[in-house]
Amino acid sequence: MARFQDLEVTDVHKTIRDAVVVTLKPVNGAAEEFDFTQGQYLTFRRDFDGDELRRSYSICAGKDDGILQVGIKRVDGGAFSTWANEDLKVGDTLQAMSPMGGFFTPLDAANDKTYLGFAGGSGITPVLSIIKTTLTREPQSSFTLIYANKGVNTIMFREELEDLKNTYMGRFNVIHVLETDAQEIDLFTGLVTEEKCAELFKTGWIDIESVDTAFICGPEPMMLGIAAALRTAGLNDGQIKFELFASGQPGCAKKPAVSKDAASGTNQATAAITLDGATQTVEMAKDVTILDAALGNKMDAPFACKAGVCSTCRCRVLEGEVDMVANHALEDYEVEKGYVLSCQSYPVTDNVVVDYDQ
Amino acid sequence: MAEDMSIESYLAAGGVLTNPTNVSARYRAELMKLMTTFVDSELAGAAGFADVINAGPGIKERIAAAKIVLEKTDNADKVLKIMGEFGVDGDRYANHHPWTARLARDADIGASRTEQDMRLAVFNYPLQGWADAVVMNLLMGRAVAVQMAEFSMVSYQPLAEAFRAIAPVEARHAELAEEGVAKLAEAGDNSALQASVDYWWPRVAASFGSGESAKADSLKAMGLRKTPNAELKTRWEAETKAVLDKLGLQAK
Repeated sequence: MARFQDLEVTDVHKTIRDAVVVTLKPVNGAAEEFDFTQGQYLTFRRDFDGDELRRSYSICAGKDDGILQVGIKRVDGGAFSTWANEDLKVGDTLQAMSPMGGFFTPLDAANDKTYLGFAGGSGITPVLSIIKTTLTREPQSSFTLIYANKGVNTIMFREELEDLKNTYMGRFNVIHVLETDAQEIDLFTGLVTEEKCAELFKTGWIDIESVDTAFICGPEPMMLGIAAALRTAGLNDGQIKFELFASGQPGCAKKPAVSKDAASGTNQATAAITLDGATQTVEMAKDVTILDAALGNKMDAPFACKAGVCSTCRCRVLEGEVDMVANHALEDYEVEKGYVLSCQSYPVTDNVVVDYDQ
Repeated sequence: MAEDMSIESYLAAGGVLTNPTNVSARYRAELMKLMTTFVDSELAGAAGFADVINAGPGIKERIAAAKIVLEKTDNADKVLKIMGEFGVDGDRYANHHPWTARLARDADIGASRTEQDMRLAVFNYPLQGWADAVVMNLLMGRAVAVQMAEFSMVSYQPLAEAFRAIAPVEARHAELAEEGVAKLAEAGDNSALQASVDYWWPRVAASFGSGESAKADSLKAMGLRKTPNAELKTRWEAETKAVLDKLGLQAK
């Protein structure tokens, strides 16, 4: 289960105009729980106007840097990233869960491998961690980074990458592909698409035949294009590692509206249940769970354990009130947002509106 | 850079999701169903097979059976860990249900699940002694191999990776079962073996699900399925019939 620990902010500095690099120190003897693997991310939580937000940011430090560091790029309208960029300061405390994620391959000092990394914009953060750690821990391996950005002034960690190039001469190479700024070589201008990758492979800028593993972190269309090019070039799925930071979930939303006098005391309730975009209104007894009411009306509502353990049947209460008799899977912040386990939830008010699609 | 692609169109184009914050509510639900089905089947399978260890005719057989129980439990744990990232308390989950529970040998439940867990229907039938267990393990092991090849391509990368690690372990279980059946066949116990094949064949076949699933299209769009159930079943039938043939047994 998720457990948050305090981290003290020991340094905050800008890497470009709208991105900060935040150095963190575990407190209360939690150092061990923040021992990370290169490429992993931290999930932070913070309260914004009474609404808890959780956001994940990749660790950009290498294993041997001796510090815990994340990069946070400001997203337009993003509460957490804007706050981190504008208000976060040394001495503040952040709360985060232990590092998570599987965006890495095991390292071995005896390896003599060729790695290829693709990063788009702030997607560099986990890739940077992988690059630094790999170059230190696998003295015979080499790494090539294709780094896509809008222009020169939006390149995060530009100097740090230059330093790495100098330190690991011959083992580390960066190709900057810029969307808007013209470069000496035409191939390095534009977007990193499937065609662009194919060109890079064909023209010999990248010796794709020798690549053991490729790492990709960037926006969705870029990931698709690169993956397609890599597969065409003969890499299998096990050789391609992805990290995606898109959010498939809605952001802050209002808590369910509850009318206190809406429960009549009768045993009947009306439930409007939304599933796969369609809403069905069903009459149900108050001693029947929302899940059973949905299933009883031929809706293909998701469930597995029916014991409040697995959370497969999670739905969101938009109106009315339900009584969730057991919950071993949802966290407090989810419950606060109106999420319930439908296999454990009985209507309290005469009308309830629930949604499995949120 | 075009960054406004929706998760739905990304998935439909073959995109891969990598952590719990990527997933939509419906994707989460289908992914959880897929994971609980696997975990429940492995836990129920391991629990059922555990009871058979002592029935192994020799120490080699008992070692093989114990190894299978251990590794199936470990495979469940691998997927349970991924469920943990979605908030599931793995320790509680592993103990919330009596995994040894079975129905009667002649219960007729088709492909339906029981109310309490998501194990594949086939794991609700009891094993009857050593030879029966080994035959079941052979037929189901071959089915798992086909399923693993399919699920190693799911669009949730952590799960795809777990299945890629699990696939060779499960493949080995099917090999052990094949060796076990071969040994029993040599001992000339063919009619009992054939009776077990007759019993388990339709039940394992049913675990591939119905020929046409209304869900299939949406699961395909989410990248959680690629191949239709019927095609997987046909593949299993062909591969397994060939194995049975070698052993002097027949699928009906």
